[in-house]
Amino acid sequence: MTPGITSIHAKPGKSVTVTLSWFLFAAGLVAYLITAAARHRDNPEERVTPTVAQMVTGMTKAVLSPAEDDEALPEGASWVTRLSRSMLWKDTKASGLRFFYSMALLLPAVMLGLHMGLFPYVGALFLRFVLFFDKIVALSLLPILFIVFGIDELSKIMLIVVGVAPTIILDTFNLTRGVPGEQIVKAFTLGASDFDVAYRVVLKQIWPRVLNSIRLNLKAVMLFLFAGEMIASTDGLAYRIALLRRHMGMDLIIPYVLWTALLLFLVDLSMRLLNRRLHPWFEEGGLREGGAG
Amino acid sequence: MPTQIEIDSVQVAYGTPPRTILRGVDLRIGQGEFVCLLGQTGCGKSTLLRLVLGSEQPLLGEVRIEGRRHTRPDATCGYVPQRYSLFPDKTVLDNITFGAEVHDANFLSRLIGRGRQRRRQFRSEALGYLQRIGLQESDGAKYPHQLSGGMQQRVAIAQSLMTKPRILLMDEAFSALDPGTRPDMQRLLRELWRDTGTTVIFVTHNTDEALRLATRVIVLAKTAQRPGEGSCVALDLPVPSPCREEEIPRLITRLEAASQNEIIPTEIIQNVNIQNVNIGASGIRRAG
Repeated sequence: MTPGITSIHAKPGKSVTVTLSWFLFAAGLVAYLITAAARHRDNPEERVTPTVAQMVTGMTKAVLSPAEDDEALPEGASWVTRLSRSMLWKDTKASGLRFFYSMALLLPAVMLGLHMGLFPYVGALFLRFVLFFDKIVALSLLPILFIVFGIDELSKIMLIVVGVAPTIILDTFNLTRGVPGEQIVKAFTLGASDFDVAYRVVLKQIWPRVLNSIRLNLKAVMLFLFAGEMIASTDGLAYRIALLRRHMGMDLIIPYVLWTALLLFLVDLSMRLLNRRLHPWFEEGGLREGGAG
Repeated sequence: MPTQIEIDSVQVAYGTPPRTILRGVDLRIGQGEFVCLLGQTGCGKSTLLRLVLGSEQPLLGEVRIEGRRHTRPDATCGYVPQRYSLFPDKTVLDNITFGAEVHDANFLSRLIGRGRQRRRQFRSEALGYLQRIGLQESDGAKYPHQLSGGMQQRVAIAQSLMTKPRILLMDEAFSALDPGTRPDMQRLLRELWRDTGTTVIFVTHNTDEALRLATRVIVLAKTAQRPGEGSCVALDLPVPSPCREEEIPRLITRLEAASQNEIIPTEIIQNVNIQNVNIGASGIRRAG
């Protein structure tokens, strides 16, 4: 007897699996289109559920024309100029810069975690403090950050760092501690120095896992980035979404949300591919043991 | 045979309240000996190895290597643990050359041409070792997880020997291997030991293995009179070389009696010792 489709032992075929995995996307899209069409029939001025045509028009405008009216383009500007001065590009660039600054600032966090895990004095000095810091709700610090750093870029980047760095530090610390003691002793018996052990043995070994941990925290990075941008900013994707909300610009909000999701997906994908490319020895699901057994 | 490793009335205890693991261990190990540390699980044989390694310090007593106290693991001793013996992020060849590279190179010499030349020299030396341990040149580009357990341990031995340590410490290095690959590994290790003249301390719980490898078997066991007080040396047995097949069962019985140990007052241990020295000597004569 073959197991029924509700059974744990059910074995759906490949085409069934693929179809099912896309089903909810299709269903959601169809449901939206039907709702939008119905609402537009009732009220041609409807703004909550823009039609696809409206969204395309809105996005075309966002892609090809400048954000502010006073930055009018010269007549007959080439499409490159149009793109580079468009609203979407300006917002994406602003958010992207903040994003990459904060990612760069996570590197010292990784280093701190590594040293905390390896050097007992560093660990003794920082561990308790980072554990405490980890429990502070980063968003509750936002007013303090605005007061201390002003309302410009720095406070937004600091919000991201304060929000995500403790997690990264503690993750790296745990990964460092997870490296088998045999590996470290072995390296010393081969004549390695503290420096070699820290960077050539331990860091190299945990690096793919650190990257994975950063990947998992990408959402938190974006969350804090958007929170900062929505509250105090003059550009950026989240600023635009918050601004458009005021006059119910759903024809742009929905594409912006999807655009942001796409960007995040691409960053995550490229990090995953890079990770696999740089670390052919690393297998998802864990480091294989270096020794027998 | 000059004494190389001195272990002086060493006591080790862990935890709160402290639980004694080793007590009154006194050993002299000469240069070029092949010593097997034998004993049941939890008798402290790995602890004794870690004392020599320098990754652990005794509560009382001291461990000296060539007259100097050994307080942290360094290039004096090579080390082959049971698991995690290779760096998973490096290829086989890079694993083997790792020791030579960190030994010699700082960043500067790696940058300038001389460093590159040295590197090429290390690689050819490593290829020599690769051949010596019975791997193909093409295996050099593989990562450890692509090798079988036995191959990994072979590479780990080559990796340790690359820096020419005067002492090689092996902690249950063959215990996770298939029974089929063990004899090959034992033969290889014996050959390498004979060729390099390095002192080997090999921890195992397998009596047969100990007898096939060692020139001297040291049994650690808790004594019946004071079972809570940690292990001490229950038997120190020189093994005739080569150990003859028909001797082995008898020696196994004796060694296992010692390690199971509802033993035997100290005088008898000493008697057994003397008796065994005689067996050893006659064994050699007969073998010769």
